[in-house]
Amino acid sequence: MDKLKPQDLDKINSEAKIAPADWIKVGMSTCGIAAGADEVLQTLKDEVKKRNVDIDIKKCGCVGMCYAEPLVEVKIDGLPPVTYGRVNKEIAMKIVEKHVCGKMLVNDSIFELEAKG
Amino acid sequence: MALYKKTVLLKDTNLVQEDKTRDFYTHFLQKLAELNLSELVQVVRANDVGVYNQGVVIKIIPDNIIYANVKDSDIQRIIDTTIKEGKPLADLQVKREGKQLRIVLRNCGAIDPESIRDYIGADGYLGLKKVLLEMTPDKVIEEMKKSGLRGRGGAGFPTWMKWKFARGVAADEKYVICNGDEGDPGAYMDRSVLEGDPHSVIEGMIIAGFAIGATKGYFYIRAEYPLAVERIQKAISDAYSCGLLGKNILGSDFSLDVEVRLGAGAFVCGEETALIASIEGKRGTPRPRPPYPSVKGLWGKPTVINNVETLANIPYIFLKGGENFSKVGTATSKGTKVFAVTGKVRNSGLVEVPMGITLREIVYDICGGTSSGKPVKAVQTGGPSGGVIPVEYLDTPVDYDNLQKLGSIMGSGGMIIMDEDDCLVDIAKFYLGFCVEESCGKCSPCRIGGTQMLRVLERITDGKGKIEDLDMLKRIAFAMQKASLCALGQTAANPVLSTARYFEAEYKEHILNKKCPSKKCSQLASYTIIQDRCKKCGLCQKYCPSGAILGSREEGYTIKQDKCVKCGQCFEACKFKAITRE
Repeated sequence: MDKLKPQDLDKINSEAKIAPADWIKVGMSTCGIAAGADEVLQTLKDEVKKRNVDIDIKKCGCVGMCYAEPLVEVKIDGLPPVTYGRVNKEIAMKIVEKHVCGKMLVNDSIFELEAKG
Repeated sequence: MALYKKTVLLKDTNLVQEDKTRDFYTHFLQKLAELNLSELVQVVRANDVGVYNQGVVIKIIPDNIIYANVKDSDIQRIIDTTIKEGKPLADLQVKREGKQLRIVLRNCGAIDPESIRDYIGADGYLGLKKVLLEMTPDKVIEEMKKSGLRGRGGAGFPTWMKWKFARGVAADEKYVICNGDEGDPGAYMDRSVLEGDPHSVIEGMIIAGFAIGATKGYFYIRAEYPLAVERIQKAISDAYSCGLLGKNILGSDFSLDVEVRLGAGAFVCGEETALIASIEGKRGTPRPRPPYPSVKGLWGKPTVINNVETLANIPYIFLKGGENFSKVGTATSKGTKVFAVTGKVRNSGLVEVPMGITLREIVYDICGGTSSGKPVKAVQTGGPSGGVIPVEYLDTPVDYDNLQKLGSIMGSGGMIIMDEDDCLVDIAKFYLGFCVEESCGKCSPCRIGGTQMLRVLERITDGKGKIEDLDMLKRIAFAMQKASLCALGQTAANPVLSTARYFEAEYKEHILNKKCPSKKCSQLASYTIIQDRCKKCGLCQKYCPSGAILGSREEGYTIKQDKCVKCGQCFEACKFKAITRE
């Protein structure tokens, strides 16, 4: 990247603020990775590719709910944003199948975060 | 466009009885189908709704109405009033306020830590821009003074003062160091910040460097945090390539070079003078202060050392203004504090709370109480330099001064919750043992005092304690506090002193009656087999390492007390609970 000037900073700031409508975030700090977030991220990427869905899958840091790692946050247009906790390979597949493609929240894995408050 | 008018999350939060979530879920769906609402309302079984032990709990989104203790008979009126009309039902509703406030962790879990674009999109480096374009170093320090930010590493020294001292000294080179040598057992706030939002720490460091006139910055991070090191290195190289580090940052006159140094895993290197020695390539031992590092630090030059969390606060302060920042918190402690809550707690993890919140709110409202359901006995804060706060003081507002009054410290932010199964003498022994192991050995009060105290504690937990031992512990602790060279030795006795202050009865029980009330101290336990319950399976005999269990599958078994080494293997092995521990 070129050396930034002060005005470039504002430009990037406003450009980066426009978030895509649909996204998935996976907590990939030490706590998440220790609980198996690597596999979850890979599964999500594979499933999305298999089904030919266009969705942004991102790594992020730890939100602080270490007891529920690996955490996957999903926002799909038309559905409330939710965080799934203790996600494993099976749940990750369900997230893509039901939530992303079927537009229905997945049962038994949602953790309602106070932190988001 | 929303696909559903409402989303209903539900969960049975009574863990003792059979889980009714599925039944309730079916009933709810049936009712909706009867009323032809299935298309409009989505019902989902949740795993955790943040409310505990209150029967079936449902949450209705987007109204954010939470109902607890919901019965099947309530479904009809919930649908009629709340789902159709959006009105709450007062008798069922529970309020759940968000008690956390995220300043340091503002981006953790929200942005991709490896993307500088994401960080700038979250208003990153805008605080720095303001500093470089609009402010002088003196003005920066003035703004820090207004914010009232105190060091988050443990001692709570005002950050602006540190900066002012370093600025006031004339020198050809000055340094700024980020202290990421986080060593307290159970504390990992700094790791999470470095891993989740590395650019905020870099931005904080550049601002600190600008304020004091530094030429070089160092990240001192422990080698046990490989991912944190990897992410900070990636962030540094991204910042270099964008012109946010190196020569003429953002086209201004200010230049700063930054480098990462790894700590080799010594607890004492979190102490600033030992840390400096370690960066210089010397053995990591502290030296007497003064001169303080802000006057004579790294390579003999003025040096400011700030903790990771302190630096992560700084971009926010310059983005929102110091006065704005100082609105959060208590009179003497401003802003928020991140705690790593661990131990016997249901929801362990990181919490960031405004200063002045009570311990009870942290333990019960945010973390959901103890994992065992038993009452809290005490809370340990501040790691090995801190102390234990008994349950009576759970309503104390948390800030630097209040915790100090209770004989503990804020420390770097480790918080360990203990319930009735924890033995406080054992806890004190654990922390002291940690400090003895980590003592660098340079000064004798810490090296010898710590070892002697540990011996006394071991004597007590082995059932060989004498009542005079309590006075002896206090005498040695006093000497260590007064005469040790650095904070490690000065504070190493704190866990012992605070437990002895609040739980003297427990110490006396160990010494006089040779009993451990929470049955933790294995040497004070005695094991016996209840013959009525014994199924003569022989497992205990198989597991006993010392051959203390006599008998056979025909005759049954007994424990020979003088041969027993009190390891507890038989107790763990018995499937019929036929062995008692007293």
